[in-house]
Amino acid sequence: MTVPYLRIRNVTKRFGQFTALDDVSIDIQRGEFVCFLGPSGCGKTTLLRAISGLDIQTHGVVEQDGRDISALPPAQRDFGIVFQSYALFQNLTVAGNIAYGLENRKQPKAEIQKRVKELLELIGLPDSGHKYPGQLSGGQQQRVALARALAVSPGLLLLDEPLSALDAKVRGHLRDEIKTLQRRLGITTIMITHDQEEAISMADRIVVMRDGRIEQIGTPLEIYHQPASLFVAEFIGAMNLVPAMPLRHGEIQLGTARLACATDGYAPGTAVRAAVRPEDIVCTGKVNGHANSFQAEVRDMEFMGPFFWLSLGGGALGEQRLRAQLPSQRARELGLQANEAMHLHIPAEHIRLFPQSAGHG
Amino acid sequence: MVELALAAPRVRPRLGRDDWLMGGGLVALALYLAVTLLLPLALMLAKSAQDQHGVFIGLANFEAYFSNPALSGAIGNSVGVAALSTLIVIGLAFGYAYALHRSCIPFKGLFRLVAMLPLLAPSLLPAIALVYLFGNQGALKGWLFGASIYGPIGIIIGSVFWTFPHALIIISTALATADARLYEASESLGASRWRTFTVITLSGARYGLISAIFVVFTLIITDFGVPKVIGGQFNMLATDIYKQVVGQQNFQMGAVVSLLLLLPALVAFFVERWAQRRQISALSSRAVPYQPKPRRARDGILLALVCLVAAMILGILGMAAFASLAKLWPYDLTLSLRHYDFSSTDGGSWASYGNSIRLALYTAVFGSLLVFIGAYLVEKSRIAQPLRTATHLLALIPMAVPGMVLGLAYIFFFNAPGNPLNFLYGSMALLVMATIAHFYTVSHLTALTALKQLDPEVESVSAALKTPFYRTFWRVTTPLCLPAILDIAIYFFINAMTTVSAVVFLYSPDTTLASVAVLNMDDAGDTAPAAAMAMLIVCTSAAVRLLHAGLSRWLHQRTQGWRRR
Repeated sequence: MTVPYLRIRNVTKRFGQFTALDDVSIDIQRGEFVCFLGPSGCGKTTLLRAISGLDIQTHGVVEQDGRDISALPPAQRDFGIVFQSYALFQNLTVAGNIAYGLENRKQPKAEIQKRVKELLELIGLPDSGHKYPGQLSGGQQQRVALARALAVSPGLLLLDEPLSALDAKVRGHLRDEIKTLQRRLGITTIMITHDQEEAISMADRIVVMRDGRIEQIGTPLEIYHQPASLFVAEFIGAMNLVPAMPLRHGEIQLGTARLACATDGYAPGTAVRAAVRPEDIVCTGKVNGHANSFQAEVRDMEFMGPFFWLSLGGGALGEQRLRAQLPSQRARELGLQANEAMHLHIPAEHIRLFPQSAGHG
Repeated sequence: MVELALAAPRVRPRLGRDDWLMGGGLVALALYLAVTLLLPLALMLAKSAQDQHGVFIGLANFEAYFSNPALSGAIGNSVGVAALSTLIVIGLAFGYAYALHRSCIPFKGLFRLVAMLPLLAPSLLPAIALVYLFGNQGALKGWLFGASIYGPIGIIIGSVFWTFPHALIIISTALATADARLYEASESLGASRWRTFTVITLSGARYGLISAIFVVFTLIITDFGVPKVIGGQFNMLATDIYKQVVGQQNFQMGAVVSLLLLLPALVAFFVERWAQRRQISALSSRAVPYQPKPRRARDGILLALVCLVAAMILGILGMAAFASLAKLWPYDLTLSLRHYDFSSTDGGSWASYGNSIRLALYTAVFGSLLVFIGAYLVEKSRIAQPLRTATHLLALIPMAVPGMVLGLAYIFFFNAPGNPLNFLYGSMALLVMATIAHFYTVSHLTALTALKQLDPEVESVSAALKTPFYRTFWRVTTPLCLPAILDIAIYFFINAMTTVSAVVFLYSPDTTLASVAVLNMDDAGDTAPAAAMAMLIVCTSAAVRLLHAGLSRWLHQRTQGWRRR
């Protein structure tokens, strides 16, 4: 593997007695788009502010492009930043905002104008240079903030919840734009978000954080399908977590059903929690054509348009409840009715086990 | 893992050029405030425990003070007069503010304007006008049924006049922000009007009222102008400081009285800060603004009250104006400008008016510069948190320090023979420093409020763009805060024009001031020229106010493009 562009080693940040970041280490490759994801207070903003030098960590090392920048003030680092609040200069025009960082570099006026024009086109606002930020919509303002950050061609782009202040439709649109722009420019990017959908759809890799620590680093697919901890399993997407017990190597009991799955590290007889995604529960109707199947009743159905939410119980599940997601088209094929017994199949590779109690510790 | 983190060396953030510059600025500001505020006050504290030769004598001065009823009687006088005046002012101001915000009386703009007029005048002016109205040759002397205006009655009326706008501003703020939903709820629950008034209106305004009570009480008990002119033989704390220092050259006893005067001001300061915080947090962003509906009886009564108060304000101002123009009160009432020719009086001159203008200009320019840059450093610098807190606290001190006390402290500090800053004594520069220090707090808080309304990440973005902070300060922060800066400048200007208390100890023959001239001419019996000088101050303040209003409007129109969509 090549030398990482950004190397974060054992970074810790304390505010008095409170530890906001606890021994965090991450490597980020050149050109990568990484999301820091976690609930509020998980330390993602603190980590971003340490990387930018706006609030320097108490311990640990940050290296950018082979240079130790751990103790440098922001002005001596190489990054562009975009905030949730846009932080545009209200009294300067859009063009003035974008040119702000360039003017400081003693470039010829014509060159600055050319670059501003280029960036205005890049963000799709070619005719708005003379307007003031207050005359633009939220999404447009955020694009100007992005252009302002990119104007000086920084090596690293930091996005601090850039989409959180926007309404849903604009957010989806801008999400795609930012992603496309990032791929095109190939700029190493870190984005903070508490929105898992945003992280999954945009990032090359996701860093899931909780209580100042890293829970898991991985691609969106890894994070979604192979959550490393109960926290990640619960935090990302919808997840069934039901009590279960390993019977022997490679088999668990769930309710009265016996299901095959990986049981590495769990001795037979220990209480565990089995994690299953609702969309991984396959409903085969009256026929049972699979191994790893069991019978249960559809207790409740909720129509969501493209799919149904099924609430499963009884049968082999007994008192346990499972939520399953069934495509509408499949439900039509099966002629599914509430309170009917069904055969259900869960592929072994989609069942993951977690310790019963230690999960929230 | 914990041990590992502890074992790793602590990161020592390297300071950039911005950090050095801002840190240096903060240190300079803290030093400046220490020299112009903290050290003088500390020295005064020390003086109160020394005898005439500078020997430490503990609390002996205080013992002497309290065992002398002629001196300590002033405490009761001051507290009593201030309490009664406060009661009257708050009652009137509440009624006035209620009429402006919760009724449908006509001419609200005009009434608001009239109520603010006393702010343009030194507190000496109402006292002089009262002499003309109710004094020995007063126009309305009979109205007092033989009682003398010289004494508590005069002090109370005069104090009510000049503190009225202060109370009105605070109570107006409290009454202006009403949530209509509360009133609808109360009405739909069948509560009587009186109950709605006490439960919703009064309790909603209670912090504003508390705040106003303490502010007004402090203003009155520390005021020097009114009791000096019309107090007669009635001793008050503020006039006693003057008598002890200027009359008897007893600086130590002056220090003792100053410390006593500091007490109510300190209490008021903390109560006021507490109330302010509550008032803000009581507001909800979802509130629906209350729109008063016409109600005949209520509007009629309130209109009568507002007219009465406005008439009194205009009457007192008008009396002063007339007195300054009447040839020889009360014998020859033909109008002339002879009293505006100050050459025949020895208390004041056009030169002192010129000095006042200079003082006001310097204070406005240097004061707003210092305050705004200082507030910026306190609010926006990223380093030296303890220093920022300390500087902020220093900036809050002046609110709790009466002008007389500050002036006396300045004598002690800047007139001390060993002080290298001694050369400033009696100079215009010292008058400017004293006036800036005297009115620092309100200006500082105004600047802070304006700065807090800006996006806190503007500085972060600027740093990321490798732009030095002073460039962003100049190109972004200052233009955005220009209205607030103008407000600060006008506040400094008008207060510098009208103040007497701090500067009365500090002027020299070369730097006599208009406001002090009013005092001295009145003292010498030249009451008409004193009224003329007071009217000059009023007219100047009014003109500057108008200029400010015009400038603000022009600024607002010019910057319409980027102000709020």
